[in-house]
Amino acid sequence: MSLNANMKTDTFPETSNKRKKRFTRNDWMGYLFSAPLIIGVLAFAIYPMIAALIMSFHQTSGLSVGGKWVGFSNYNYVVHDSLFWQALTNTFFIGIWSVLLGIILSFVLASLINNLNWSTGKNFFKAVFFLPNVVSGVATTLLFSFLFFPSKEGLLNFVIGLFGIDPVGWFTNPQVSRYSIVLMSLWGALGYNTIIFLAGLQSVPRDLYEAAEVDGAGTYRKWFYITIPYLRPIFVFMLIMGTIGAMKRFTDVWLIGGTAGNPGGSLMTVVLYIYRNAFLASQMGMATAASYLLFIIIFILTAFLMLLNRRKDSFD
Amino acid sequence: MNTVDAKIIHRRKKISLNQWILTIVLFLGSFVMIVPFLWMLVTSFDWAARLHINFPPRLWPEEPSVKTFEAAFTSIKMFRYITNSIMVSAGVIIISALSALLSGYALSKLRFKGANIVLLLALSTMMIPFEMTMIPQYLLFSKLGLVDNYLAFYLPALNYAFGTFLAKAFFDQLPTTLREAAILDGAKEVSVFSRVYLPLCTPIIATMIILLFLGVWNDMLWPLLILKKATKYTIQIGLAMFTYNNGIDKQPSIIMAATTVSLIPVVVVYMFLQRYIIESIALSGIKQ
Repeated sequence: MSLNANMKTDTFPETSNKRKKRFTRNDWMGYLFSAPLIIGVLAFAIYPMIAALIMSFHQTSGLSVGGKWVGFSNYNYVVHDSLFWQALTNTFFIGIWSVLLGIILSFVLASLINNLNWSTGKNFFKAVFFLPNVVSGVATTLLFSFLFFPSKEGLLNFVIGLFGIDPVGWFTNPQVSRYSIVLMSLWGALGYNTIIFLAGLQSVPRDLYEAAEVDGAGTYRKWFYITIPYLRPIFVFMLIMGTIGAMKRFTDVWLIGGTAGNPGGSLMTVVLYIYRNAFLASQMGMATAASYLLFIIIFILTAFLMLLNRRKDSFD
Repeated sequence: MNTVDAKIIHRRKKISLNQWILTIVLFLGSFVMIVPFLWMLVTSFDWAARLHINFPPRLWPEEPSVKTFEAAFTSIKMFRYITNSIMVSAGVIIISALSALLSGYALSKLRFKGANIVLLLALSTMMIPFEMTMIPQYLLFSKLGLVDNYLAFYLPALNYAFGTFLAKAFFDQLPTTLREAAILDGAKEVSVFSRVYLPLCTPIIATMIILLFLGVWNDMLWPLLILKKATKYTIQIGLAMFTYNNGIDKQPSIIMAATTVSLIPVVVVYMFLQRYIIESIALSGIKQ
């Protein structure tokens, strides 16, 4: 994303002989070298996008791409399906909490690490906080299903039990299961954001701080008036990446609650909804309609978040 | 002069107190991050926890044993799943990295007609979520009879637009004069690429291998769709299916033993290349 932002469409200066009709040997070599990529993009990105669009307007049967043309009725069905709305609400709920808490916590964490004067310590904490990030979603979920065990044996229930709190059904009580997912994903994702924030913090020009010090600004004022505004593009980048990731939540909720999104449908997410319609109910047309709706939602959210970066401020 | 010195000394003292507080806070935070791993290790070596979680939680196994790992390897076909995962990862890494390096080279150094279009097309498809294209891709592969076939991993690996982008940016930094000189000497394009430029690409190749390995090894959704036979399962889907069918919170120590084994490759890679991984991720800014 941030990389895209740096891209310019005119990366390649026009060659002087662009009027020449025939392809040069150089051109052919270029196509030959890019052929694997071009084939890959066409067959596994462009074709599926188009096929999904076509399928979403058909009533499909079994595993065929075609079927009876039904216009917008697949979309109509999905939009009027209360389960889809439940899935969307859950996805948003888990997403908003995990993205916002994740950004705030990791920014604080990165600031703390950045203020350490002890470089071995810096590297040590970076490595420790990042470690959960290389752990797969499956392993994380299995691990947390035991840590969040619903009876007093679970580690988290044991810990809160020391404070006299009764055991909580972290993944079995529909009232709390979504918060438990947020906690679990914070553990997994915190280090990633922290690393990016740390890189950002190191890029803030020293003289800005020095100028502020001359003006008598303290640590917290510098943090609020220099660091945070300066890192706004990174905050926006994280909001975008976090949102995209959150909208695609599947592995953990599927492992914990199965295709029903248990407990009580509280862990039904949009991708789980797509998955169960496509591969359990074999309603491929309907599932692709839902996936297009998901794509549109992600697209709108991303575009909206990118606008946050447009606003002019003193650093531009 | 004196007052300035006094100020600096005063500041030093204050900072060192802050440093102590900072370090303690960060250690507490790291402890919270590490506890799940410690719990996993302790449980995985505890034969007494094969049916139920120990209560109260223990710092050392009640019945220390590796029988849990034996049980994990017999009841879950861990050995087979790991072999499968290695096959899938190796193939995807080679194909993706090669596709990215070749196209990155072409886009950066050959300046062929339509290069802009190719780059734009590849980059814009990077934004398409996999969840969106998985159904048609699944149908495509099932029609080709490639369900349970690792070609369903290898072929889509050709589409590694992010790698192309990384490689192109890397080649852009390498001088074009190298190519011009080699061509004047009569070298073929392929050998310019493989003999002149490729040896200079080790950093970017390493980055791609790390990112691809972490992505492929940890992926579960595509294996869930495309692998139906248990003998073809990769480690993630094998582990997931075992717990999905037997109950996710049953047999703690055996599942934790299997989870520990599944983490060994990534954790070993992480330990050796930790700074490098953190750097490539901070640089790339994209996880998958």
